[in-house]
Amino acid sequence: MAAPILLTESLNLFYGNFQALKNVNLSVAGRRITSIIGPSGCGKSTLLRVFNRMNDLVEGARVTGRVLLDGEDIYAPGTDLLSLRKKVGMVFQRPNPFPISVFENILFGLRVHQLAGKSKDRLREIVKESLESVLLWEDLKDRLNGLATNLSLEQQQRICIARLFVVRPEVLLMDEPCSALDPLATARIEELMQELKKNYTIVIVTHNMQQAARVSDDTGYMYLGELVEFGATQKIFTTPRDKRTEDYITGRAG
Amino acid sequence: MRTLSPRLTQRIAFSILFAATLFVILPVAFIIGVILKNGLGAVNWEFLTAMPRASMREGGILPAIVGTFCLVAGAVLFALPLGLCAAIYLSEYSKDSRLNRAVRLAIVNLAGVPSVVFGLFGLALFVGFFRFGASILAGSLTLGLMILPVIITSSREALDAVPGSFREVSLSLGATKLQTIKYAVLPHALPGILTGTILGVGRAAGETAPILFTVAAFYLPRLPRSIFDQAMALPYHLYVLSTQVPNVAPKIRYGTALVLLAIVLLMNFLAIAIRSHFRAKKKW
Ligand SMILES: Nc1ncnc2c1ncn2[C@@H]1O[C@H](COP(=O)(O)OP(=O)(O)OP(=O)(O)O)[C@@H](O)[C@H]1O
Ligand SMILES: [Mg+2]
Repeated sequence: MAAPILLTESLNLFYGNFQALKNVNLSVAGRRITSIIGPSGCGKSTLLRVFNRMNDLVEGARVTGRVLLDGEDIYAPGTDLLSLRKKVGMVFQRPNPFPISVFENILFGLRVHQLAGKSKDRLREIVKESLESVLLWEDLKDRLNGLATNLSLEQQQRICIARLFVVRPEVLLMDEPCSALDPLATARIEELMQELKKNYTIVIVTHNMQQAARVSDDTGYMYLGELVEFGATQKIFTTPRDKRTEDYITGRAG
Repeated sequence: MRTLSPRLTQRIAFSILFAATLFVILPVAFIIGVILKNGLGAVNWEFLTAMPRASMREGGILPAIVGTFCLVAGAVLFALPLGLCAAIYLSEYSKDSRLNRAVRLAIVNLAGVPSVVFGLFGLALFVGFFRFGASILAGSLTLGLMILPVIITSSREALDAVPGSFREVSLSLGATKLQTIKYAVLPHALPGILTGTILGVGRAAGETAPILFTVAAFYLPRLPRSIFDQAMALPYHLYVLSTQVPNVAPKIRYGTALVLLAIVLLMNFLAIAIRSHFRAKKKW
């Protein structure tokens, strides 16, 4: 296995006095899909938001331990948060495009990073590439000026994924990206993830065990802030080592 | 004792509520009706574009219209940037709830200050202390202070109504806080900010007391030349016509009132139109 892209060492996270992550040691391999499963409130979202330091926005949140991205500690003092978040993109649970045009939604990241001064043709090309990589270009190429919020939820979620690409991320974090979608749309997003995995490293949080089993290469099971077990998805789902994992995947807990 | 049947009670309650509503509408309709009836005959092109003549007993009201326009524009120029910055600070940056509460209290109090007090304050501060004299500048600043609470309150409400997820997405894409405010928050709060500003404009256009000591000229049949000039203004002009000048044709008074009323109502309708337009489009 290649060197991990993301690595946590003795990671603890506190919300005030409440410890939400307990000594988490996790390694995420490049160009693979890693899923995090576990019962509600066990800290999956919290763990995900460690990787792009979105927890910094929560008042009173405190992190100890190390988190390495490409070998560099992203919690080291002096870390450039903006370039970290460029490298590590995030897709949220509810599709949340801005209530502006598809075109403007895709280019939002560009505008922020002041890669402006590009010609209209170049911008259109960028939008095209982004939408192509989420397989939306054919559907939307004549509707680029329409409101993104008028599209179907699945299309909206694809736009939220596409909007990450303009800033050239390496890692995509997805927090229950399909929980607002119907089964068909979910299947198509899962297909898309397989496609994206060729170029990106994906970490997905999901409530849906079948989804984790279907899409991911590695799986981690969390329980009450601990990473109970981590390994190849197949192994976790067929021969879990820990009793708690077994109870969860066989439906006896959670 | 016999109790009334529920249906009858219902009828009576309905009638009382309906009558109360009617009672609110009636005076408004009556005022507008009277002013329209008596003033419409006076309002024509000359009335709107000519200087007053013969001690305001003839001619038009152009300088008062222009004066009001300048004052309102000045007030917005002063109060909008200031109020918007304060609102952004309070809603996006300040986490200190004590400061927030203090400012909210200050705003409520500011909104409750009688307008004549604003006038005296403007007289003391802008006319006197800063030596602007009675001028458009002093009057604008005074009006600006008066509409500041409206602008801050409505801007804050508009900013708070922008979903947190917009900020989250923007930050997660690597935007700075300032970029997030500029690109992901402000554009979506703009309609609300605009609405509040227009309501402020309507208020500023109609007030007499704040301009009484700070800018208003009794009779100045020419257009203002600079912001240090005095100027006529519609509300004060109306007051002068009605109480200080004998033998003014009622038509001219009502015509002036009509113009003022039209400006203020137009502003309010514009605000309502903007709000409902964006409310219909809004999807989050
Ligand atoms: N901002 C916060 N302040 C305090 N406690 C928090 C905060 N956010 C989350 N928590 C707590 O931390 C724990 C982990 O929350 P987290 O959202 O990571 O769980 P999760 O596994 O994603 O749950 P779900 O499956 O419901 O999304 C929960 O007990 C939650 O109550
Ligand atoms: Mg969660």
